[in-house]
Amino acid sequence: MTSAPTSSIGIVGHGIVGSRTALTLQTLGHSVKVASLRTATELFDCSVVVLAHGAPHAALASTFIAQGISVVSTGDNLEDVMSMLDSQERAEARNAVIVAGASCSPGMSGLLVSHMRRAFESIDEVHTAVHGTGGPMCARQHHDSLAGLSVGWHDGEWLQRPAGSGRELCWFPDPVGARDCYRFASPEPVLMQRVEPGLQRITARVSATRRDRLTARLPMLRRPHAEGLEGALRVEVRGVRNGRRHVEIVGIANKVGSISGVVAAHTALAVATGVVPAGVHNLGQAVLPNADILDGAVNSGITLHQFVGTDQ
Amino acid sequence: MKFIRQVLLAISIAGMVAGVLRRRTKGVVAPQQGGWREVTPQR
Repeated sequence: MTSAPTSSIGIVGHGIVGSRTALTLQTLGHSVKVASLRTATELFDCSVVVLAHGAPHAALASTFIAQGISVVSTGDNLEDVMSMLDSQERAEARNAVIVAGASCSPGMSGLLVSHMRRAFESIDEVHTAVHGTGGPMCARQHHDSLAGLSVGWHDGEWLQRPAGSGRELCWFPDPVGARDCYRFASPEPVLMQRVEPGLQRITARVSATRRDRLTARLPMLRRPHAEGLEGALRVEVRGVRNGRRHVEIVGIANKVGSISGVVAAHTALAVATGVVPAGVHNLGQAVLPNADILDGAVNSGITLHQFVGTDQ
Repeated sequence: MKFIRQVLLAISIAGMVAGVLRRRTKGVVAPQQGGWREVTPQR
């Protein structure tokens, strides 16, 4: 990863993702300023700010953009991300960058699709699944996302389906293994469609238990854990290679908070170097240095696994 | 009395159907082929 210039990087949020982002940046020798949501204006002297607090991020992102400060958002709330995607003109006018959904899913999933894309002549399907949560705000988002409407891209049309439906057994790298996964209110399909507009089918699923689905429309019955114990991400890409149908599956088994923090940190470094043009982007798009960010994430301790199956 | 007999009959039929379904699905095993291999991104 190229070193960032002297300008500092700010982080809004002291939670799991914020602290992992700060740790990654400090390990790489970069100065970091951390502020809470209430004191976010203290970061007006930074060139890039990572939003690592709970949703919503769009309003605060607009505030930073108005100051000409680039923003890396780790949020995965569907409406919030859609709001940020509407800020293209404002970001360009202020010569600032917004990277929306720079966490695990979305975020790392876009980097993996960008990486796996090179193994194909063309790709037409992307299916992602995520297991686990980061900090308490992420757990609340997971809870709420099973109660709303999910979006999916199917043969060139946006489909809305109830979140919590569409059970599918997804295999994650060890030690997570097989988990029942369901549709959820995620911005992943919207962002993935921006990565590869030629895709025909995009789905995003999240692992959930019967209790998660049963209580999704109720308030959380108990306070979420400080951090999810285990996490995993799985990205399945289908397309054509050597004239034949081909499938590649890549996964990661790591805490969701760690994946998100590492991805956010390396994305912020990429934005700080000034190589990203002004506007609203998401990871995986060609305008971002996806290979550099993925290399940085791997060097920071994220291990990639490829599923190697047989024809049986 | 007739109602109770009908309820018991319905419960026993439902139990038999559930038992048959459980026995039929017991033979299914998780996929044993394939696995995860660590990879390093290649430029």
